[in-house]
Amino acid sequence: MATSTAARAAPPSLALPGQLLGPASKYQPGPGTHVHESHLYSSLLGTVHVTQPAKAPGPAKRLTKITPAPAPAELPTISVVRTAPGKHREVLPEVGNIVLCRVIRITPRQAVVAILVCGDTVLDAEWQGLIRVQDVRATEKDRVKIYESFRPGDIVRAEVISLGDQANYYLSTARNELGVILATSESGNTMYPVSWKEFRDPETGLEELRKVAKPF
Amino acid sequence: MTDRRRINGPVGATIPPVFEDTLTQELKAVKKRSRPPNAIRKMYLKTGVTPSASGSAYLEIETTGKPGVSGLKLSCSVHGPRSLPRSSPFSPHMVLSTHVKYAPFATNKRRGYLRDPIERDLGTHLEAALRGAIIADRWPKSGVDIIISIVEGDQDRETSKFQGDEMWDMMNALSGCITVASAALADAGIDCVDTVAGGVAALVQESGDDSTSPNIVVDPIPSEHDKILAACCVAYLPTRDEITNLWFKGDLPASEMELYTKMVEKGIQASRHANRVLIECLTETIG
Repeated sequence: MATSTAARAAPPSLALPGQLLGPASKYQPGPGTHVHESHLYSSLLGTVHVTQPAKAPGPAKRLTKITPAPAPAELPTISVVRTAPGKHREVLPEVGNIVLCRVIRITPRQAVVAILVCGDTVLDAEWQGLIRVQDVRATEKDRVKIYESFRPGDIVRAEVISLGDQANYYLSTARNELGVILATSESGNTMYPVSWKEFRDPETGLEELRKVAKPF
Repeated sequence: MTDRRRINGPVGATIPPVFEDTLTQELKAVKKRSRPPNAIRKMYLKTGVTPSASGSAYLEIETTGKPGVSGLKLSCSVHGPRSLPRSSPFSPHMVLSTHVKYAPFATNKRRGYLRDPIERDLGTHLEAALRGAIIADRWPKSGVDIIISIVEGDQDRETSKFQGDEMWDMMNALSGCITVASAALADAGIDCVDTVAGGVAALVQESGDDSTSPNIVVDPIPSEHDKILAACCVAYLPTRDEITNLWFKGDLPASEMELYTKMVEKGIQASRHANRVLIECLTETIG
């Protein structure tokens, strides 16, 4: 009885951990929720948000084309977000996230980095990452040299490819838009990128090798 | 307990002496439980008391009307999720570590600065109670520290001479720890399936009525009862209707299964009462 009334009722605006939000047939679970016995429950303390699915593209133009059976209609996603003043939720790097990190040290086989920013959020905790030599770029992997790709102190944009081992997340820069975005030269000046593998010092005019991220 | 870095207070009881006078005579006479057997004491709960922690909460359970009996005061802080130390092995889920510490002045007998077996015990039971409520696989490779300091340990000053009292005090302390840690976890924004709360039930025998059978009360204060035969502390999830931790102490005849179930039921009832306070407190913070 209680579940049937909840199924018809709109979800609550505020939620506590363990509070019923609605049936799993009506909503998709978003962040801050969990599913238990085909019902959605909140797992956080905060406000409830329901986001409608992005509109599917209009009917297929070529009706003669054989298409698979239409996918079941997308359900709205329900999520619980903590909105306390001065608080933000801790974020963990996840596989597929784009992160910004600083190179700490390099060895011939890998570069050790500290992950600073995950997506749009600045991380509170210090997480360590590893860019292995085979993950630096997509082509000519056997000719990659770490010291021609990164130097300690560089700021690198990278993608998380694995949770890694106990200490490190494994990162990759094997895409055009990934790589070093901010580098300082040996004389200590901030350099600008001139090609996919070179930065130039504006004062001395010397060029240094890096795995350069595509600026635009 | 040789802690050379600090100037330790004297070992043993350091309570001020209580002299026999008319007032105490009178007080001894009213040594009776003033609440109905199924009512818990009033409690005060507040989250967000420690700004530097990810989440924190403070719990205070009121004293009885009698002077000289202290209440329970707990302060809990949650740190994390943060990265695990380099030496620890890979963990696909969150690693919980709980620390419960009595303040040196919290109980009649002065406590040391190092953790003693009782505090370790409380920490282990607290971890078991919380593990059932947390969705740990949402936080791979991370650790959370839950630190509880017991500022005031719910003890009667006048009963320090009775040994074995402490074992019943631990029950009340654990149930308070569970409730306050649950509030602090919600404040820290760590995913939980439900709000877990603790409750205590005890089987007590009053000396006046030896003929009658012992009865079950919730939230017992050892100084209010002549003899506690057994006690149980329950950590309970109300919407799931699940128990995450159950701790029995004392002597119960093994043949009377009904007594065991009744005590657990009463413990759940006490936990539901505590949960109402918890819900109210959490609603206030987001409302």
